[in-house]
Amino acid sequence: MKTYQFSILKSTRLLFAIVIFITFLSCKNNKKEESKFTSSMEIPATVEMIATLTSPPNVPPPTGKRKAKKLIVDMEILEQEGEMTNGVKYVYWTFGGTVPGSFIRTKVGDEVEFHLKNHPDNKLPHNIDLHAVTGPGGGAESSFVAPGHEKVFSFKVLNPGLYVYHCATTPVGMHIANGMYGLILVEPEEGLPDVDKEYYIMQGDFYTKGNNGDRGLQPFDMQKAVDEKADYVVFNGKVGALTGDNAITANVGETVRLYVGNGGPNLVSSFHVIGEIFDRVHIEGGSSINENVQTTLIPAGGATIVEFKVEVPGTFILVDHSIFRAFNKGALGMLKVQGDENEAVYSGELRDDIYLPEGGGIQKMPSSDALPESEIPAKSMAERMEFGKQTYMQTCFACHQAEGQGIPNAFPPLAKSDYLNADVNRAIDIILHGKTGEITVNGEKYNSIMTAQTLSDDEVANVLTYVYNSWGNDKKEVVPSMVKAVRNSN
Amino acid sequence: MSSFFKIMIVLLAALTFHTIRSQEGMVQIKGGTYIPLYGVDSTAVTIADLSMDVYPVTNADYLEFVREFPEWQKNKVIRLFADGNYLVDWEGDLSYGKMLAAEGPVTSVSWFAAKNYCECQGKRLPTIDEWEYAAMADETTADARKKESYNQSILDWYEAPKSLKKKVGSTFKNYWGVYDLHGLVWEWTMDFNAVLISGESRKDVDKDSNLFCGSAAVGASDLMNYAAFMRYAFRGSMKANYAVKNLGFRCAMDVPQI
Amino acid sequence: MKNSKTILILFLVISTLISCNTKKKDDLATISYQCPMKCEGDKTYEAPGICSVCKMELKVYEPKIKETNEISDMSIYNLPSVWTNQDNQEVELKYLQGNVVVMVMIYTSCQAACPRLAADMRAIEKQIPQAGKDNLKMVLVSIDPETDTPERLKNFAVENEMNSNRWVFLRGSVADTREFAAVLAVNYKKISPMDFSHSNIISVFDQGGELVYQKEGLGVDHKKTVNKILELVN
Repeated sequence: MKTYQFSILKSTRLLFAIVIFITFLSCKNNKKEESKFTSSMEIPATVEMIATLTSPPNVPPPTGKRKAKKLIVDMEILEQEGEMTNGVKYVYWTFGGTVPGSFIRTKVGDEVEFHLKNHPDNKLPHNIDLHAVTGPGGGAESSFVAPGHEKVFSFKVLNPGLYVYHCATTPVGMHIANGMYGLILVEPEEGLPDVDKEYYIMQGDFYTKGNNGDRGLQPFDMQKAVDEKADYVVFNGKVGALTGDNAITANVGETVRLYVGNGGPNLVSSFHVIGEIFDRVHIEGGSSINENVQTTLIPAGGATIVEFKVEVPGTFILVDHSIFRAFNKGALGMLKVQGDENEAVYSGELRDDIYLPEGGGIQKMPSSDALPESEIPAKSMAERMEFGKQTYMQTCFACHQAEGQGIPNAFPPLAKSDYLNADVNRAIDIILHGKTGEITVNGEKYNSIMTAQTLSDDEVANVLTYVYNSWGNDKKEVVPSMVKAVRNSN
Repeated sequence: MSSFFKIMIVLLAALTFHTIRSQEGMVQIKGGTYIPLYGVDSTAVTIADLSMDVYPVTNADYLEFVREFPEWQKNKVIRLFADGNYLVDWEGDLSYGKMLAAEGPVTSVSWFAAKNYCECQGKRLPTIDEWEYAAMADETTADARKKESYNQSILDWYEAPKSLKKKVGSTFKNYWGVYDLHGLVWEWTMDFNAVLISGESRKDVDKDSNLFCGSAAVGASDLMNYAAFMRYAFRGSMKANYAVKNLGFRCAMDVPQI
Repeated sequence: MKNSKTILILFLVISTLISCNTKKKDDLATISYQCPMKCEGDKTYEAPGICSVCKMELKVYEPKIKETNEISDMSIYNLPSVWTNQDNQEVELKYLQGNVVVMVMIYTSCQAACPRLAADMRAIEKQIPQAGKDNLKMVLVSIDPETDTPERLKNFAVENEMNSNRWVFLRGSVADTREFAAVLAVNYKKISPMDFSHSNIISVFDQGGELVYQKEGLGVDHKKTVNKILELVN
């Protein structure tokens, strides 16, 4: 009885699956018909829809499989005071109240009816030049709108890609420098592949009358803008828009897609996520895809789409890798990834060992034919002491320390050293050939390794003379011939 | 005969009185030649002597005007002459309400309204060239355009929000004795619609060389005068029946040639 | 007596000088009254009272309402300016009322854009069938009234085969021209003694003087303009 029921259930499932399969097939057929359009211009856009606009760092939902539509975009221009960073105020000119402006998401073939509203309290006329528009001025001329007015114009999006929009009213640099830019995405007919997280980031450079960090309301500085000397280079309009509590987030194993634009007005961005490699980069926001990219260039007035899977947890820092901008001017964001560690991908710290440098001699360039400074013979005892000290500070200092005191239990002392004073030739030999094994110096046992030092006979003579004539030792003078003798004796 | 002379004298006196009455609150600006941001072919423009209102027209002034000429009251004006934003913040036809100051500049007035107001005072709106000429002065010099600080301080004002809430006379008195040309409100000019930016200006208006993007730089005489660029762009966005919150006006007058 | 007359004239002069809008004052001075039922047509009375026919109380007669009876707030016939046409007659814009008006602003000494604008105007006119032309006026307004005398306008009309009564050439004062351009959103600037830079806009007004369509540009497709005109004349 039970098995019978089960099989019915099973066959129903099978039937269901077949129906789905057929539907899928027919869908596919429809799809094929749809893509018969030889040009984007032929795609009909019949049904009307109000576009969802989002503030950064959010993006509207994907267009998915929907057909091209007549898309109503409502955008309000606001000139308003905001905070650039703690205590620093700035009057931003914005599309939709944010910098960058609201994100517009469209699909190839959409007919966009654009309503541009200039708030009556605003002081200036504005307009919008959308790089996604095929037409004179990208809409700039048709959208030139006085305060307290609304302009309507429409355009059909023909080319898929990620495009910048910005205000183009004279003086255009100032309008952009005050934050009038944003992104419009035109998805291909079939939509972009599904990902887990999508975010909207835009870099911009700002020019203030005061220097970076000067408090109070900071007006735009025209001269600095002309000279391209930015006081702030930031993501999403202000310092800290993407850090701390404002960081963007993802979970381990998710694929993240960032829509990254650069409003400029002046600087080109070397966009980089510290500790991640972009699996896929839509170069310059267009159709060609580059894989496995560390840093991607975003021109001013350009954009890019980067995608990467986050495999391990942690905080990943987004920067403009023109790195002073990141650390001194604000071009810094954070992606916080939560989830389980994956030590196969990244182990974290395994050990903390003492690192013993091999000494300066190892860095000597052997290729030079000219007599190196180190081989210039010392002409007097004073010179020998002087040269010897130089060699000591380069070669011996790290272990034996400045006053020859050594480091207890690790490196024996050279100051008032019975072991040193007992045998000059042994001392020369140790420098030339190194020393391993237990020794007793001034009653203390030491068991470590000293490597052979690649020093010339002169240098050895000098450094030993320096050591023997310092810190209470017995004032021997070592000359190169002594060193040579030891070197040749083995 | 003598009575004729008497009459002539009275007439002259009346004329003088009329002129004086009109010139109350005005200062004289000595004409001259200068190069505006967007000039004519030969670039230099010559301005004749003129008188200009010391202050922009205030709410109180304008109230008096609409009392006398009801066709310019908030609810009586016809749409050809003023759009729906006309005196939008006024409480009623004969009251600017408590939110606006009597001595605040009247704003949200159309070009037609401003022009008519001036004509009713026996004055006129200044031309763009006249306005720009008067406005290139700072406190001490007639042409301060090359002073970096001057340019920057105007830009600061243009960017600062809500300056229209200030009273007239709250900014600086310039070389000519005129207040508030910068830092309070935009001002209408007689030929605001003469803003045409064209590369080869003798040709038709080539709309490719317009106010947008880089093309505004074509034909401009001073690429560093951002403040002027903003004023020209603003004028370019206006139509004669627009009433805008940050836009007021003042009047000017020819100086009779003696 | 003679003196007092002169003084009277003097007073008039002064009052004219002092009050800008004398017309307005005159209107106020001569309030008239009319029967609300218009029993005696347009007849008005100088004092309040009752209608001699229907005995209803007379109402204040507001000539403005009557004048603008047919026109809306947005009609260009609200403009009071007086113009001179190519036949040297003084006309108000209002005399065009009732016609579909196609309008462009030009100046006759213009070498570049204006001949093409004139050609566009001719092309538009040709596309309107005869029946529709009865209520059609093609109007060219000069932006250089100082140069464009009625004679020059007349010559221009003849040269350009615009010499029927369907074609109207207008010139006004410099100030009125500026105002009219403001209404049309035509921008212009005198750039040298002989030349103007100006927007190329052809505007279509309906019978009530409301702007219904504008097309900007030179040598552009005027199909939409023509369709709009046809819509209006039929």
